[in-house]
Amino acid sequence: MGAMVAPFPSGPWFDELVARATADTAALERLGIAEFRFGMEVLLPDGTGQLFGLVLDGYDISAEGPVTEAAFGPDVVFSGPLDAWTEMVGWIEANGPADSAHSLNGLSIAGIPFEVRSSDAMGSDKFYRFMGTLQAVFDAAAAAVPVPARAG
Amino acid sequence: MSLGLDLSYLERSARGEFDLGWLRDTDTEWGVRAVPSKTGLTMRDISIGSYGVIPEHAPLRTMAPRGSDVALDVPDMGYTVNDKCEVWSDNVLDLYEEAVSRQWSATRDIPWGDLAPLDPDVEHAMCQLATVLSEVEMVAADFPAKWLWRINHDFVEAKMFLCTQVMDEARHTEVFRKRALANGGGLGKATAVIERFLQLILDAESYDEGSALMHLLGEGIVLSLFRAGAALAPSPVEQQIFRLCMQDEARHVAYGTMHLRYRLEQDPSMAADFHDYLDKGEEMIAMIFSTPEIVEPTAILAAGSVEAACELGAAAGDVLRLQIVGDYLKRCDHAGLDRRGRLHLPDAIIEGVPGAKSAVAV
Repeated sequence: MGAMVAPFPSGPWFDELVARATADTAALERLGIAEFRFGMEVLLPDGTGQLFGLVLDGYDISAEGPVTEAAFGPDVVFSGPLDAWTEMVGWIEANGPADSAHSLNGLSIAGIPFEVRSSDAMGSDKFYRFMGTLQAVFDAAAAAVPVPARAG
Repeated sequence: MSLGLDLSYLERSARGEFDLGWLRDTDTEWGVRAVPSKTGLTMRDISIGSYGVIPEHAPLRTMAPRGSDVALDVPDMGYTVNDKCEVWSDNVLDLYEEAVSRQWSATRDIPWGDLAPLDPDVEHAMCQLATVLSEVEMVAADFPAKWLWRINHDFVEAKMFLCTQVMDEARHTEVFRKRALANGGGLGKATAVIERFLQLILDAESYDEGSALMHLLGEGIVLSLFRAGAALAPSPVEQQIFRLCMQDEARHVAYGTMHLRYRLEQDPSMAADFHDYLDKGEEMIAMIFSTPEIVEPTAILAAGSVEAACELGAAAGDVLRLQIVGDYLKRCDHAGLDRRGRLHLPDAIIEGVPGAKSAVAV
């Protein structure tokens, strides 16, 4: 797989990411079903933010955005500054599937640089329940390394 | 005991004189045609018509499938959990499907070949953590197994979910035992404090009590440990182990949280009982937080070495501590049980957790 073409952050970038992640349907099905609305908020230097949505629906995955939080209705919002996003995405593009330090989990466990925001405990617990699928989607940004067959 | 063998039926049926009562006279809802949804024919898809009605109190204590035409002479199986509110949660059908769909293999799905030699102290820390987790995970199989045969078959969806939990926990016990033995280390120490907490769960006098202690409190803590383990993993092997276990554990916690919520919605007066259960559990958890065999390996993995962990002191485990207590309070809130202000945890453990202050002195 080559490098991502669309600029980050943008709706086309997330569409391209999902297209790459869903190219191998057998691998995706091995990860199992999920029901989750994942909000991804990019905080821009000017103090504004852009929200994108990832919808896990059974075995289907789709991207939406930019969206508003009210319209999208996320279970969880994964929020962080632009430079943290570009560092994470850039590392995966260059090196392959995220290591611990560049994973969605590793970058949010301390609340910095990413915060996991949910209105109730069931939302954040869904973030844990579907972590493997979410990470597999982001790992699809890797330029040369295929998504692992069992990304978990 | 007579099993009621009807010798005359053997003779009649041999002559082709069939009874056909099951064909002509069965009193069930006939003509049902469940429609598969996009992932296949799910438990929710077949929860239709009278078959989707779960009684608040099971009228019989038999293994007969709910909705079947039950013969009058079926034996009493002696179930002791016969009220829906004792085991139900509104998400249990979906959690069952999710569990079945997201199973994995500790043999096949972990990249064992990628294990690399670690600094001996870090390897020792990982092995000690693996020892603790291999020890505690099996209680989360033992507890459901202890209660499964007491739960009325009318609540079969809840029983099926608990069966998935038994399998999940077997796999967790397996994967941590394998990790301890796979990279030049071995098993570490098993401690009395941990065993006492496991005993508290196993000896629970009711399913409610055990579920609160295990699904909500104990597994909530282990979920945070898994999350920390994935974040601190020294190689893709540990990252994958902890990530996959985290997914499973979060399902169990989601069941426990929503079971407690359902229980309290049906009978708000139960809140006092649950507070009592959790008072006891939290006191035990406070002891676990002061158990070197858990605290120190986690701190060493977080800091990267014994020396760095010693320099950081309590700060090395702060992220884990804050997450454990914070997530636990959020789950209690969601279930409708406000534990803020009555946590049975020392100040040193709740320090920095929003709203957790003014706890009961321990």
